[in-house]
Amino acid sequence: MRYPQHVFAGGNPPPAGELANPLARDSGSGADGEKIFSSMNCDGCHGGGATGWVGPSLVDGRWRYGGSDGALYQSIFYGRPRGMPAYGGILSSSAIWKIISYIRAQPKPVTVPTETFK
Amino acid sequence: MPGKDYSATRFSGLSQITPANASKLRPIWSFSTGVLGGHEGQPLVVGSTMYVVTPFPNVLYAFDLTREGYPLKWKYRPDVNPASVGIACCDAINRGAVYADGKIIYNLLDGHTVAVDARSGQEIWKTQIADISQGETTPMAPFVAGNRVIVGPSGGEFGIYGWVKGLDLATGKIVWTAHNMGPDTLMLVRPETFGGGAGLGTSTWTGDSWRRGGGPVWGWITYDPQLDLIYFGVGNPGPYNPEQRPGENKWTNSVLARRPRDGSLVWGYQFTPHDSWDYDSNAEMILADFVVGGRLRKVLVHFDKNGFAYTLDRATGEVLVAEPFAHVTWAKSINRSTGLPVVDTTKTTGASRGNVQGICPSLEGGKSPASPAAFSPRTGLFYTATNNLCMSYQAVPVTRIPGTPYIGAATPYTAGPGGNMGSFIAWDAARGRKVWEIKEKFPVWSGSVVTAGDVVFYGTLDGWFKAADARSGRQLWKFKVGSGVVGAPISFRGPDGKQYVAIYAGIGGDWFLLSGDVRSDDPADVRPPADFAPDLARHTSQGGIVWIFGL
Repeated sequence: MRYPQHVFAGGNPPPAGELANPLARDSGSGADGEKIFSSMNCDGCHGGGATGWVGPSLVDGRWRYGGSDGALYQSIFYGRPRGMPAYGGILSSSAIWKIISYIRAQPKPVTVPTETFK
Repeated sequence: MPGKDYSATRFSGLSQITPANASKLRPIWSFSTGVLGGHEGQPLVVGSTMYVVTPFPNVLYAFDLTREGYPLKWKYRPDVNPASVGIACCDAINRGAVYADGKIIYNLLDGHTVAVDARSGQEIWKTQIADISQGETTPMAPFVAGNRVIVGPSGGEFGIYGWVKGLDLATGKIVWTAHNMGPDTLMLVRPETFGGGAGLGTSTWTGDSWRRGGGPVWGWITYDPQLDLIYFGVGNPGPYNPEQRPGENKWTNSVLARRPRDGSLVWGYQFTPHDSWDYDSNAEMILADFVVGGRLRKVLVHFDKNGFAYTLDRATGEVLVAEPFAHVTWAKSINRSTGLPVVDTTKTTGASRGNVQGICPSLEGGKSPASPAAFSPRTGLFYTATNNLCMSYQAVPVTRIPGTPYIGAATPYTAGPGGNMGSFIAWDAARGRKVWEIKEKFPVWSGSVVTAGDVVFYGTLDGWFKAADARSGRQLWKFKVGSGVVGAPISFRGPDGKQYVAIYAGIGGDWFLLSGDVRSDDPADVRPPADFAPDLARHTSQGGIVWIFGL
């Protein structure tokens, strides 16, 4: 597993593969993930549809801690410093991957919009 | 005191600035706090020093008002846990400090109260009062009555078990903890309280729902030294889905009167029983004495989120006046003899009731508790910001996971009738009627200060700081301060003998969530405009500026 955002000494990440969602091809996992997203109160911070509230939007194509499968897994498992709780202790690995499937299934802008007012 | 005095009048006895000369007000000084975010609360001037607390990370600045440019005497940098930022429901704000016994006392967002030597900036004590792992954060301004520091938590959206605590002023030690619901022993109910109606903190709930029933204390506190009672509002019950907590849910959405020495509960009054709309009652309880119904009464006046302004007898809690100051649809009136609202049951919400439309006010409140009102004994009027918003409310079942949101409703807003989303009003609390009103395009979320020169000050979300004639509501002056105003102005006499007015600019609080793309320091956080106020972000972005104005 790579931890690029944690590796500063020497700038060389440890040799390892990237984490990839093992449920990416499981068509039901996104629907399961939507239920988990709500039942674990993710929507309380990230908003219904993950469009953002106190916490950032997860569907606007912009990522603070990386948008790869592995980065999302880490964000959910270990938490992030400004309030994202570490769900590693209460969510199974497959539940985390289902949430990631749900986020991936949301419609995303083709390009990240850069104009606020038109 | 955060609210100027024990009564939280926010009345300044200074009279150099008048309706005749207010148009000559000009900026004297400004200072960037270095923090972007909701600058709620107010600066505190003690002698010739001005103290400013920033939002997270809760820096405390002490400015020397005797020297040119008001340089810093010192700066206090507390160690605050950044995890608290995500536990704060609605921006990492702070509502200010209190001065007592040579100490500046304020709360850090992460559940600590600190006392700092007002002269040297050295930390005197630091006490953990709240637990962020349970969803508690602490942005409110502490209050001091006698030798007790009174503090409470936020977390009505996190299923906390709400409380207030009394700390020893000298040491910071927690002397008492009083819960706002639950068994009488934990609520510190006196035997004679409620005339034998004991157990209300459990019997008005179902099962043990009170244990996660919210009831935060994030607003302002007042004190009547003669009656020896502190008054504070209790916030919403959790979750927002009321079907998970059948019962009146006492004492959420209530005012409680307690003894500051030992915290014991003397009386309580519930503004919104079995809340179905997130109508927290954390707004200030302003203390005043005036004639109501032909008799001089000792009253408290409270502008509730539910849209009614209440005038209560502050010795007993008797409802003397309760009239709407904003557009209200959830209730027809308040029955003064029972104290109960006459609820329009078509506006009652719940997971089984679908999406309930046309509820006014919205959960931002007819007035936000974050926007404290002012009272002038000269005019006899109260001055307050108001919101003119309505909402629909779709409740859903929700499970509590400690330290995560426990909300259970989606509540989009729409503008209320009249074309303006807010206003600033003068209110006659003896008769329960509006005396004048200045309509504003956007909701008004600032506090106010009124002076002996009969000038009242407030700010707007689109970044104007304004002065109006306290008697007529005539607008006298305005200045664009660089970011939306959600703080409360103060007026003070400088070491040079002149009258000044200070205000924070820095949009945030709920408006961090609602104003769209006002955050420009984070490339990963670009927010779409709010449906009901799509162009607010054309007028403001985040900021953090302290302004001082003078003649």
